[in-house]
Amino acid sequence: MVLVLALGDLHVPHRAADLPPKFKSMLVPGKIQHIICTGNLCIKEIHDYLKTICPDLHIVRGEFDEDARYPETKTLTIGQFKLGLCHGHQVIPWGDLDSLAMLQRQLDVDILVTGHTHQFTAYKHEGGVVINPGSATGAYSSINQDVNPSFVLMDIDGLRVVVYVYELIDGEVKVDKIDFKKTSTSNSAP
Amino acid sequence: MAKKGIPEWLNSSLWSSSPSPIPDDRPLRHTPPAATTTVAPSPPIVEHPSLSPSPSTAPAPIRPPSNSKSENNDLPNGSGGIDVTPPTAAEDVSRKTQVVAELSKKVIDLKELRKIASQGLPDDAAIRSLVWKLLLGYLSPDRSLWSSEFAKKRSQYKQFKDELLMNPSEVTRKMEKSKGGASNDPKLQAPGALSRSEITHEDHPLSLGTTSLWNNFFKDTEVLEQIDRDVLRTHPDMHFFSGDSAVAKSNQDALKNVLTIFAKLNPGIRYVQGMNEILAPIFYIFKNDPDKGNAAYAEADAFFCFVELMSGFRDNFCQQLDNSVVGIRYTITRLSMLLKHHDEELWRHLEVTTKINPQFYAFRWITLLLTQEFNFVESLHIWDTLLSDPEGPQETLLRICCAMLILVRRRLLAGDFTSNLKLLQNYPPTNISHMLYVADKLRSK
Repeated sequence: MVLVLALGDLHVPHRAADLPPKFKSMLVPGKIQHIICTGNLCIKEIHDYLKTICPDLHIVRGEFDEDARYPETKTLTIGQFKLGLCHGHQVIPWGDLDSLAMLQRQLDVDILVTGHTHQFTAYKHEGGVVINPGSATGAYSSINQDVNPSFVLMDIDGLRVVVYVYELIDGEVKVDKIDFKKTSTSNSAP
Repeated sequence: MAKKGIPEWLNSSLWSSSPSPIPDDRPLRHTPPAATTTVAPSPPIVEHPSLSPSPSTAPAPIRPPSNSKSENNDLPNGSGGIDVTPPTAAEDVSRKTQVVAELSKKVIDLKELRKIASQGLPDDAAIRSLVWKLLLGYLSPDRSLWSSEFAKKRSQYKQFKDELLMNPSEVTRKMEKSKGGASNDPKLQAPGALSRSEITHEDHPLSLGTTSLWNNFFKDTEVLEQIDRDVLRTHPDMHFFSGDSAVAKSNQDALKNVLTIFAKLNPGIRYVQGMNEILAPIFYIFKNDPDKGNAAYAEADAFFCFVELMSGFRDNFCQQLDNSVVGIRYTITRLSMLLKHHDEELWRHLEVTTKINPQFYAFRWITLLLTQEFNFVESLHIWDTLLSDPEGPQETLLRICCAMLILVRRRLLAGDFTSNLKLLQNYPPTNISHMLYVADKLRSK
């Protein structure tokens, strides 16, 4: 039972001041084992804040991140699942499922987490699952002004992932979940 | 004429506290796994069907006499030859035959058993395991009920484990399965957007609600961490409990499970440091039961016996009750009064002259039931008396503590605050049977 927090596109301080207080009250240290961040934090203070929630933090570079040392993509293995991480501004057209699927095959992962569109989506295709946690602060994006703050928490338990989607709609936190099971034959590189 | 306040019998030289050779040798007899040294005198008992919880009692009348015969044969050369002088050995033998005789009856007379056990049980793993189960009320005196009782209690424990030791992911999964949730067969999930579904019972991992499974799980994690730390610290000198072997790890897991389930079933008192020390001897005895069937269920049996023992002592662990009539402070005061009643001079010296607050030494004696003051084997003997005394463990414990103080009175009377405190917090090795005898004499007439 591993809890993985996926979030990104906070754009602090340029487009948003901070995470919504309701989100902050829920994100307490000690519960989450890993954090994967799609990028565009943008400043070190947010990086430090995320570190206090969980010391195991994985970040990739978004186009507005002030720390240039983050990698463009990252892959990690948690339990039985391989996760891939990429900000998404590199994948054109932005948010297009087929292009993201191509990236997923390139990285050879079961779950690809990308951002940039500031819109929560979860797609499934033959190669695996693509998740976009949206923007945790509700910052505007180049394509969308009206953004609901959202993030994603994945509960990885053996071959099964339960994805909890947290969205702030009209000032209230709404939680949904998505179930995803991996077929037991793992895709090994040919 | 006796000095004021000190009974005649205390003046006898019998109460000197010099360590005698016997307690040192008893550990020698037992530090190798209990099975090897007790194998010599006890194979008749181990194979003896009536000591295992099966209803057959036919061979019972024949066995005890042959057992005592083999005992006598073993003495000159067998395991008994290490330490015991003949009179003690004969006592041992007679006690053993008494216990075995009592245990082989169809309906065991608990009062009789208590009387025999309070003088100390023979160091036989099978006997002690069975007697403690009887004394703690886990088994009823009627032998024929044993198999059904065992089955019932053990399955109950298994149920506890299944319910309480599951993490929230598994629980939610079970709940959904029982609701007949939509199949998550990946072949049926068409490519495209994944459907979102509602969460079960408004519960999610970051929930802060009081009824949330997840929130409670995380709150329990602190308790679990504490239990984990304490279990790793239990008896670091014993291979049974500590070290890297698979045996030690499985024993530690068993201890952790029992303490976790106890903490979850008792939200009022949860887990308090020290409970691991009280559980350790119980689990050790049951796990070393030569009967493999019993040893396999040692965890379940130890849980119920631990609960039974704790029911008498739980008030010692409850912080809110510290200052109340049932709390630990009052119990320590009672010990103080008991000492004053039996040995006023010592009491006055300790409390008034050297101003040693009994809490400094008695707290650990009482809450941990003397497991930390003596080595493991000696504390097993003390527990024999503690558990079997008809007055109840609480009263007996106070008497034994009082006896401990009286036995070192010469050194205490000569010492000041520092030396006395050092002495009492590191109680010197003594003859346990002697100490228990003194404790017995302190019984209020």
